[in-house]
Amino acid sequence: MSEENSLLKALGDTVMSRRSFLKWSTALGGAAVLSSDLNLGLKKIDAAVAAAAAEGKWIPAACWHNCGGRCPIRANVADGVVIRVKTDDTHPDSPDYPQQRACLRGRSQRMQVLAADRIKYPMKRKNWEPGGGKKELRGKDEWVRISWDEALDIVASETKRIKDKYGNKAIYCPGGGEIQRTLSLAGGYVSNYGSTSRGAWRLGQEPLTGTTAQVEMNDRFDLQNSKLIVMWGNNPAWSSMGLATYNFLQAKRAGAKFIFVDPFYSPTASIMADEWIPIRPATDTTMLLAMAYVMITEDSATNKLIDWDFLNRCTVGFDKDHMPEGANPKENFKDYVLGVSDGKPKTPEWAARICGVPAEKIRSFALEVARTKPAAMLYGWNSARLEKSQHMCFAVVSVGAMTGNMGIPGGAFGISCHNAASNGGPALVSLGSSGVASIANPLAADPRLCSSEHWEAIVSGKYTAGKGPKKDINIQMIYHGGSSKLNQTNNVNKGIAAHRKVEFVVTHQYGLNSNAKYSDLVLPVTTQWERYSNFQSGNRELVVWASRVIQPLFEAKDDIWIAAEVGKRLGLDVTKIVPMSEEQQAFNTVAGTKVIKTDGSAMENLVTITEADIAEMKVTGKPQTGRITLKEFREQGFYAVPRKAGDKLGYIHNQKFREDPVKNPLKTKSGKLQLHSQVLADLVTNAGWNQGYPIAIYDPPTEGYEATFADWDKQVKGTYPLQLCNIHYPRRSHSVLDNVTWLREAWPQELMINPLDAESRGVKHGDTVRIFNKHGSVLRRIFVTPRARPGVVFLGEGAWPEMDEAGNDIAGATNTLSGDYPSGPDIESWQGCVVQVEKWNGKPLEADYKWSQRIVFKEA
Amino acid sequence: MAKRMAFYFDSSACVGCKTCQVTCKDKNNLPLGVRWRRVLEYSGGSWVPQGDQMIPNNVFGYTVSLACNHCEKPICVEVCPTQAMHKRDDGVVLIDAEKCIGCRYCDWACPYGAPQFNEISGKMTKCNFCEDLLAKGENPACVDACPVRALNYGDIGELRSKLGTVSAIEPLPEADLTFPSLVITPNRHAQFSGKGTGKILDLTEEEV
Repeated sequence: MSEENSLLKALGDTVMSRRSFLKWSTALGGAAVLSSDLNLGLKKIDAAVAAAAAEGKWIPAACWHNCGGRCPIRANVADGVVIRVKTDDTHPDSPDYPQQRACLRGRSQRMQVLAADRIKYPMKRKNWEPGGGKKELRGKDEWVRISWDEALDIVASETKRIKDKYGNKAIYCPGGGEIQRTLSLAGGYVSNYGSTSRGAWRLGQEPLTGTTAQVEMNDRFDLQNSKLIVMWGNNPAWSSMGLATYNFLQAKRAGAKFIFVDPFYSPTASIMADEWIPIRPATDTTMLLAMAYVMITEDSATNKLIDWDFLNRCTVGFDKDHMPEGANPKENFKDYVLGVSDGKPKTPEWAARICGVPAEKIRSFALEVARTKPAAMLYGWNSARLEKSQHMCFAVVSVGAMTGNMGIPGGAFGISCHNAASNGGPALVSLGSSGVASIANPLAADPRLCSSEHWEAIVSGKYTAGKGPKKDINIQMIYHGGSSKLNQTNNVNKGIAAHRKVEFVVTHQYGLNSNAKYSDLVLPVTTQWERYSNFQSGNRELVVWASRVIQPLFEAKDDIWIAAEVGKRLGLDVTKIVPMSEEQQAFNTVAGTKVIKTDGSAMENLVTITEADIAEMKVTGKPQTGRITLKEFREQGFYAVPRKAGDKLGYIHNQKFREDPVKNPLKTKSGKLQLHSQVLADLVTNAGWNQGYPIAIYDPPTEGYEATFADWDKQVKGTYPLQLCNIHYPRRSHSVLDNVTWLREAWPQELMINPLDAESRGVKHGDTVRIFNKHGSVLRRIFVTPRARPGVVFLGEGAWPEMDEAGNDIAGATNTLSGDYPSGPDIESWQGCVVQVEKWNGKPLEADYKWSQRIVFKEA
Repeated sequence: MAKRMAFYFDSSACVGCKTCQVTCKDKNNLPLGVRWRRVLEYSGGSWVPQGDQMIPNNVFGYTVSLACNHCEKPICVEVCPTQAMHKRDDGVVLIDAEKCIGCRYCDWACPYGAPQFNEISGKMTKCNFCEDLLAKGENPACVDACPVRALNYGDIGELRSKLGTVSAIEPLPEADLTFPSLVITPNRHAQFSGKGTGKILDLTEEEV
């Protein structure tokens, strides 16, 4: 008899309440696992689990985090309790039509939703009083439980007070959903802008290729046509979990050669790399320029390296004979590479000194890339998630265009990242609109704060508003309606100072993340498992309709309810904040969902809707005919477009453009690929931080490789001799899920370091070290691995900072170390970061899955 | 011959994401510290100077997803003083919790670290091949979870005839200790057990 059954026998048919479930969840996931009072909780639960398992119902549940995967989860629910979860099993699995299987993060979702560290009640900081009250205690003060009425009254009265005293321009709402509707109606708020994860691939890439950061490669089946796939700063096994790695595996099995350019021998590389080129972070542009140098200087009639036909027909700016109208002919790419314009040829030897790849390797790699047709050079976002990295985008487009790998089967150069990782092309299924119109923010145009300058702006009272002198700003209220800005933007210490400067900070959250921790008031909100429905779209082939899995826990309320209640107290028209029911919004989304016809010719309705469906949902609408019934969509919670090799749904990026660039122009100024772009140069300059330049040049970031030296010419190392590479890490989706104990147990947030760098510091595997620079100091245990390039250390982004008395962040947040270096157009920078690592002589860190959870109030 | 259940693991596809580990914890409600399936990283190699550059010298790394191997000669069964640990006719090795006294002999004996002590129940626990799912005709939870389809299961004879006979790559022990019911497609970096040049590099693991 199994253990479970013996417990069942001992305890009989114990009925488990949701409350005891939480207790059980504490026992499974909490640090207090050994305490005797929880023992009973576990036994009870085991019994109930066994009793309920046979009859549990599978409900489609959201995995709503921003990793790009958007995988379906189903929760097995019995008596209002989630027993276990599973993922996509809506159809048999095959490489052509694979199940969209959730990763460990989706699989651990119930330990986030049903966790002991949920924020249970509205709460305020003990020393808070109108206007602040010992503001320096934010992040350290005790919490006091209050009623919803008191909490909402405080939000409304502080909003009014600050608005009356300083004006709406004193209210900063840097992220977050539905409360922005209320704040917009109340006269507006200072908003936030920035590239977030996309670096220069968003506004920087657009003037060059006419496309945004995501659709720059061919359909997944077409990967199998590539003879060579270069994965440049591209590790989908960690950064695009879901199907991307599996899709690349199919190309590997079809015979493609894989070369990885990456400072880390990544897990993706470990199963696919035929060759690894360990480059230094933040130096990619130098290698691309040197590759261009090799191709230009060695190309000849008998040694064809450059696709002149493609360059001549499809690009502008390569050489002085192909310049866009009005451009200075001296500012062409070729002359910069050859050193004609600045006297410095961008030779492999020049690049090698900076990027750390031997000159001969750069040359042979350039020749291989130039000679192998078709080839795909696919980049992750991180290579241009760097100050002034629009030049990386320029270089990618310039070198890619020289190879002519575009618009042909197996050929691509550009982005493979996030939800479009491994699978480019327009959506084959797309969700309809909810019908809720946004409410214009009266302050939308100005002032706005860039994420890489916002804390500085709040602390200093000055912000950059384009070219010219900085403008004054006086933020006195921070409203975190969602997002995780204190955690996820540069320079956490400055962010904490900003939070301690203003008069009022309020956060909606379900866990005590950094935003919440440094607030005066925290409002407990529901997760997507507790909301009526949640829709997601992911890769081009899928949509998700998740349903409510459980009733709201404790006193949690939906964000939209809070938005309405605050609006009511501010005397606003609540019907504008909540214009229609959740049911109606869900209905509109479903009714408007379109799917591609199997012949690829047009989109059609996905869902058949009957009068009975409309009556049952209590909504208004019209019946329609589609591919699946509404009931099927709701019960499966997921739809993936059936695919097979050779179907009509494939995609070759810019195929028509390549065939006839005049008839099928790109959305760029010239209609062609812009190797020279004055538009981009002006965008950068006009953003106000730095000078733009219209072609790819090497312009290193403030904290690049060069900054590890005290004297570059003599190669004398400086105070911060190591580069910190800020990586995506399987434990979290950005900052979300960092508190989930099962994930902490699986991925311990270690600092990865090369054995040579560890030995020279007298530290060994498992030791605790201090990692520091001028922005902050963190403690972590080290993972000594030859997979890390010497001179570079690696830390996963998104940990929740935990500052000790001395100011060391013992949780190891990368943004405690990353500096705020804004650059145009709106680039947030993470890969430019230099640090020192030293042995920590204080108390060694314990594995953080054993740490106490941030539980403010124990269950009553 | 009777069917004998075995796991198949494709180390040439595994990226070590630990989805199998977490799925197993969810399916089996495992507390912290207990991982019936877990993932080991094995890596090695070095860096050598070449001119003024550092060059990787056979740097490699790969991962192995490991549960109970339901061995042909399960040493855990041999050492169990109460006969709680037993092998079913279909090869699945199970613990009878009523008989288990939590003495941990099986934990010390097993070269794979498969039996694990549950501090809450005071008993040994281990992978039971999702016997409840098997009984319903479903796959073990880990098999259906793997994002790169690196896990499968079946009769050991059939698996071996289709997928080969490798069952011992580093960092696993050599197979002649317990004759694991395990078939592995090796990662191209894989080194045979006992002949490895690398080591386990993982803060969540001690040497197996």
